[in-house]
Amino acid sequence: MKRAEAGEPVEISLRINGEKVTCRVPPHVTLLRFLREYVGLTGTKEGCSAGECGACTVLFNGRAVNSCLVLAVEADGANIRTVEGECRNNRLSRLQELLDKHHAVQCGFCTPGMIMSIRDLLARHPKPTLRQIQEGIEGNFCRCTGYVQIIEAILEYTGQLKKKGELKRVRG
Amino acid sequence: MIREFSYQAPRKQKELLDILASERENARVLAGGTDLLVNIRLGLQHPRIVVDIKKIREHTAIRFDEKEGLSIGAAVTINEVMENRDVQKHFPALVEAAKVLASHQLRNRATVIGNLCNASPCADMAPPLLCLDARVEIVSDSGRRNLPLEAFFAGVKKTRLTPGEYVERIVVPPRWADAGGGFRKMKRVRGHDIGVLSVCLTKKGPLRRVAVGSAAPTPVLVGEFRGRVSTEEVIRKAMRRINPIDDVRGSAEFRRFLTRRYVAELMKEVR
Ligand SMILES: Cc1cc2nc3c(=O)[nH]c(=O)nc-3n(C[C@H](O)[C@H](O)[C@H](O)COP(=O)(O)OP(=O)(O)OC[C@H]3O[C@@H](n4cnc5c(N)ncnc54)[C@H](O)[C@@H]3O)c2cc1C
Repeated sequence: MKRAEAGEPVEISLRINGEKVTCRVPPHVTLLRFLREYVGLTGTKEGCSAGECGACTVLFNGRAVNSCLVLAVEADGANIRTVEGECRNNRLSRLQELLDKHHAVQCGFCTPGMIMSIRDLLARHPKPTLRQIQEGIEGNFCRCTGYVQIIEAILEYTGQLKKKGELKRVRG
Repeated sequence: MIREFSYQAPRKQKELLDILASERENARVLAGGTDLLVNIRLGLQHPRIVVDIKKIREHTAIRFDEKEGLSIGAAVTINEVMENRDVQKHFPALVEAAKVLASHQLRNRATVIGNLCNASPCADMAPPLLCLDARVEIVSDSGRRNLPLEAFFAGVKKTRLTPGEYVERIVVPPRWADAGGGFRKMKRVRGHDIGVLSVCLTKKGPLRRVAVGSAAPTPVLVGEFRGRVSTEEVIRKAMRRINPIDDVRGSAEFRRFLTRRYVAELMKEVR
């Protein structure tokens, strides 16, 4: 077996939002950096780079992961989805529209990662309970304290929001 | 910036063992990477070669049968354990601990065996697996051996693995299947957080086992108790076995308090 030198680029091939991408990348480059700097998809954000904040969340073969803690080379052959895969023909997805409608976006930094966690949540629980929503997004920090609005947007998306503002009184 | 290294993802165990045998200390096994990549980034570890074990098919297996018990391969994630029907049916303590380990997206990557090999005193999978008497199956190019989990931990972030070895899987014996079980973990926040202290208790027939996390250099098995035993007796033994410290997450006194409290709660709750 030929031994690669440390840092020597490796060719990887993966699908990003359905499109096939082939690229050479050094092994120490994270999936996060790869998406932003090699592919030019800067929707995915770098927050803490230590798995705490969730700003870098993407879907890896359908499951939400912190892309700061995945190497790009590990994604060889994988199916990746990022926030850029949300809009179609330059129109926001319904989930994005509802986040907007409920003022669930203030600074917007957590939103791309939040959306990917919500996608993972909804794939597991099409009609999530409040507790399931809270657990589903617990790895995504919003520091503008917009959780109530985010949860309302999710509940409207799944047709479960009865009255706007009702969540303000709930402590789950 | 992460330091440079080379990367290999063998598809056969033989290849993996060859790499580990020739690279020794220069190689680091990569499972979910949720500890390793953080450590490399912080400069705490600097492997020359990172060996991804997830492409070896056998490592992804999780299975239960009444003869062997529960076998969890090296690439099985925390969420895969939690979602597994057999685990839900036969090993409730494992599910409870898995549920509160890190966040959902970390659990999608983090492996059970990575959690044990990282050997942090606060590893959440350790107390339930100590209670369930798990065995660790270790392989190298010169053969295999296995250790009870209790003997696998050697100190803070230290295991009994030697260069060239890795953990292929862990096995929970069938005698602990269908044990009642409970897990308590104190966190500083309601969201995801490393534990301040945790206690696990399992009970099957006349046998009870109790383990404590974040209260000593390694996760601690307090012991096995048979028949009628008072809560005070279990607490007394736990107090003798733990050796907590003051740190950023809590004081030693708080940890002793939580140990007493959680043992008492679980003695009542787990039947
Ligand atoms: C933000 C954050 C929150 C966290 N919260 C928690 C928490 O609440 N509770 C908790 O317990 N942990 C927590 N962790 C720690 C971590 O997620 C877990 O310990 C996880 O289970 C590690 O598994 P992994 O597969 O990611 O391990 P890796 O990072 O891949 O490996 C960990 C170590 O074990 C070695 N290793 C891995 N597999 C093997 C093997 N098969 N044989 C030999 N050596 C091996 C690696 O070389 C490395 O040294 C957290 C981490 C982060 C970043």
